Amino acid sequence: MNNMKYSICFISFIFLFMMSMLNFIFMIYFIMNKLVILLEWEIISFNSISIVMSILLDWMSLLFMMFVFLISSVVIYYSKSYMSSELNLMRFIILVLLFVFSMMLLIISPNIISILLGWDGLGLVSYCLVIYYQNLKSYNAGMLTALSNRIGDVLILMVISWMLNYGSWNYIFYLEFMNNDWQMKFVSSMIIMAAMTKSAQIPFSSWLPAAMAAPTPVSALVHSSTLVTAGVYLLIRFNMLLLDTFFLKMLLLLSGLTMFMAGISANYEFDLKKIIALSTLSQLGLMMSILSMGMPDLAFFHLLTHAMFKALLFMCAGVIIHLMNDMQDIRFMGGISMYIPLTTLCMNISNMALCGIPFLAGFYSKDLVLEMVNFSTFNLSIFFLFYLSTGLTMFYSFRLVMYLMINDYNLMSIYNLYDEDYVMLKSMFILLFMSVISGSFLNWMIFPYPYMIYLPFNMKMMVIYVSLIGGMFGYLVSNMNIYSVNKFIMTYNLSNFLGMMWFMPNLSTYGLNYYFLKFSQNLVKNIDLGWSEIYSGFGMMSIMKKNSVLYNIYQMNNFKIYLFSFVIWMVIILFMMLFNI
Amino acid sequence: MFLFNSNKMFFLFILFFSTFISISSNTWFGCWIGLEINLLSFIPLISNSNNLLASEASLKYFLTQTIASINFLFTILMMLILMKNFEMNNFILIMMNSSMLMKMGSTPFHFWFPNIIEGLSWFNSFILMTWQKITPMIILSYCFNKNFIIIIIIFNIIIGAIGGLNQTSLRKLMAFSSINNLGWMVSAIMISQTLWMFYFFLYSFMITIMCFLFHMLNMYFINQLFINNMNFLIKINLLINFLSLGGLPPFIGFFPKWIIINFLINNNMYLLTLLFMMMSLIMLFYYIRITYSAFMFNYLKMKWFKIFIKNNYFMMINFLSFISVMGMILSTFFFY
Repeated sequence: MNNMKYSICFISFIFLFMMSMLNFIFMIYFIMNKLVILLEWEIISFNSISIVMSILLDWMSLLFMMFVFLISSVVIYYSKSYMSSELNLMRFIILVLLFVFSMMLLIISPNIISILLGWDGLGLVSYCLVIYYQNLKSYNAGMLTALSNRIGDVLILMVISWMLNYGSWNYIFYLEFMNNDWQMKFVSSMIIMAAMTKSAQIPFSSWLPAAMAAPTPVSALVHSSTLVTAGVYLLIRFNMLLLDTFFLKMLLLLSGLTMFMAGISANYEFDLKKIIALSTLSQLGLMMSILSMGMPDLAFFHLLTHAMFKALLFMCAGVIIHLMNDMQDIRFMGGISMYIPLTTLCMNISNMALCGIPFLAGFYSKDLVLEMVNFSTFNLSIFFLFYLSTGLTMFYSFRLVMYLMINDYNLMSIYNLYDEDYVMLKSMFILLFMSVISGSFLNWMIFPYPYMIYLPFNMKMMVIYVSLIGGMFGYLVSNMNIYSVNKFIMTYNLSNFLGMMWFMPNLSTYGLNYYFLKFSQNLVKNIDLGWSEIYSGFGMMSIMKKNSVLYNIYQMNNFKIYLFSFVIWMVIILFMMLFNI
Repeated sequence: MFLFNSNKMFFLFILFFSTFISISSNTWFGCWIGLEINLLSFIPLISNSNNLLASEASLKYFLTQTIASINFLFTILMMLILMKNFEMNNFILIMMNSSMLMKMGSTPFHFWFPNIIEGLSWFNSFILMTWQKITPMIILSYCFNKNFIIIIIIFNIIIGAIGGLNQTSLRKLMAFSSINNLGWMVSAIMISQTLWMFYFFLYSFMITIMCFLFHMLNMYFINQLFINNMNFLIKINLLINFLSLGGLPPFIGFFPKWIIINFLINNNMYLLTLLFMMMSLIMLFYYIRITYSAFMFNYLKMKWFKIFIKNNYFMMINFLSFISVMGMILSTFFFY
């Protein structure tokens, strides 16, 4: 089937691409005429509560749909080559299409019930895609992904049941009323939590790097640009409900920390896909934090540009992984710019767009975000989180570039890298084009008037300063190769903490069940099998004996120490008396 | 036995009377003089030119008691200054109490106590555990900081119970037992002097039997109990007296503890009561452990090894043990 001219990949590509173009045209029309269309289909109505399927079409949903369709079309076209030796290609493509469908449901519905439809679909399909390579690691990663996202599903369900009180789930109509209701604070906090699970913010971020067990096209579509941004999109939609709540401030802190944490962890990581995943996490933190500062349009802007270049980055990574005989460790790579110049071109451009090099996609959104941070009245810790993370972005990007492209090829002594797979390259070029222009075109299109930014010179240049410093560090770190003395050993505990995403994968897997299992093991050992001797006579005796031994150690001192300690005690009491403490 | 040595008889006499000087003195200074005489008369009793350990113990005893005395003297001089303004504060009480606690070998100033008792004969240990406690205890009862004393009591009973658990030396065991009982005695003196007197007499009585018995059998370590070929009656005496010392109900050792617990509950010191009872269980545990394995499990009977005990001592021990066993039951008959 793959050799046929009209394979399922090609057909889906054409369909999705056409849908994308259609959405583009509609988006232009809607944005020019400031049009919003709301369609409602009342499914059931009882006791003045109606369950409706609603569809909201405005420039935002159309634009997001256009981007999702574009990326998915390109990714499906790309998987024609990437997954060419896959037996169940049909299943794979259908899964991806199902994913796109649930994403559409999520994007177009302003109704919390129909949102749940898309939301649950995303969780299920992403689980199926993560476990697509059926091995133990994929199962574990899939289970972590599914269960982390399940928390968000449960919270959305709770939101639905709570919003029954308000008579309708079309929250968009009742914003004014709901804003004045104190119970709505809880509902909004649940929505924020749900968005945090989907967007992998700090307590739930362990699943995003784990989900890299999925095939690379899936990572490009799902875990970089669409699924993880669903949480951001939900919060953008709910933004009116959340303004000035306590939980939004918490979200600002947590997402700032996510951004920082992911930036640091990416520098410790040696797995190519995980580096990019952590960079995604960092960018998600950026979107979330600018969103929680009260600038949803900026968050949306960064979401879109980021989707372009991050999908491209993943696709380049997929090409490289293919060429490396499925090797993902960047320590084995190097010097590939000599052999695969076109892929390297895409990779460099997407990396630079990620870093925010001027006039690429990331520049417009990221620079604007950082300047708005500078411009707003938030405290120093938030400021530092933003700017350190910007520097860290540059840091890991440069490290990645240096590892991949500058040094020597480290895998095998005889090799032939082949860069003429034009199916992959063509699909990458579409995104390359988009990641060059999407920043500027979105900037001109979606902001009716430009932001006014007025900053002192050094603050304006702050982005450039941190970027230069980060790039320099990235260069220095990349000089350390596999044969040199590994300096991480010297600070083993610190590197462990920072490289393991602040222990979050351990906490969210073993941390949840370890203590319960340990407790039950103790129960079995001591009560069932041990006839509870540990908790009665024997345990008492052993504790007493231990204490007695401890006491004997104290007793085994020089005699003068006893006398001297007594004198010191008396002197202390005397001084306490004299100074009337 | 130095009861027949006239020099030592002389010092023993001074030892007893110095205590009377102290406890009947009108002034702090008089108390101090009594304590010093007491110290200087006990040292010749301890020291024995043939035994290096005894000499070392006498030196250690001298050092600790001197430091405690110095601090006591310092404190009463400080009080002299302070009392001009009729000022009295808790810290000076703590200082004075500390020096007295050091003198009687109470925790946390007790570390010298098991050390020194290791070098003493059973008769000297008996004096150290009973008579030498009277003076500091009486002086403590004149004025004390109650919070401080309660903390000290808790320390005493816990350290006494835990510390003795791993000991193999009988004298050290008795020392820790005495530390534990010190907790009881200090709490008794916190409540009333007559209660303390009651406890102290019965405690001394039981200690007398134990020390006398061990002295007679010439026993210093636990393993000696296993291999000595003893009369059945002696074994029973030892067991019963240990149980009585631990405070098992029908015996007389239970009586003072019972009354102290009663008074503590009347004074709303429930936590202290609980600790007392729990820790006396541990005390009882290690008393029983000595006698149990000595007389019931690991009894090595060696036929060629006999000890002969003079009959008159034995009669006395039997009589005292009878009181120890039946005392509480008999005393009830006096009221009918």
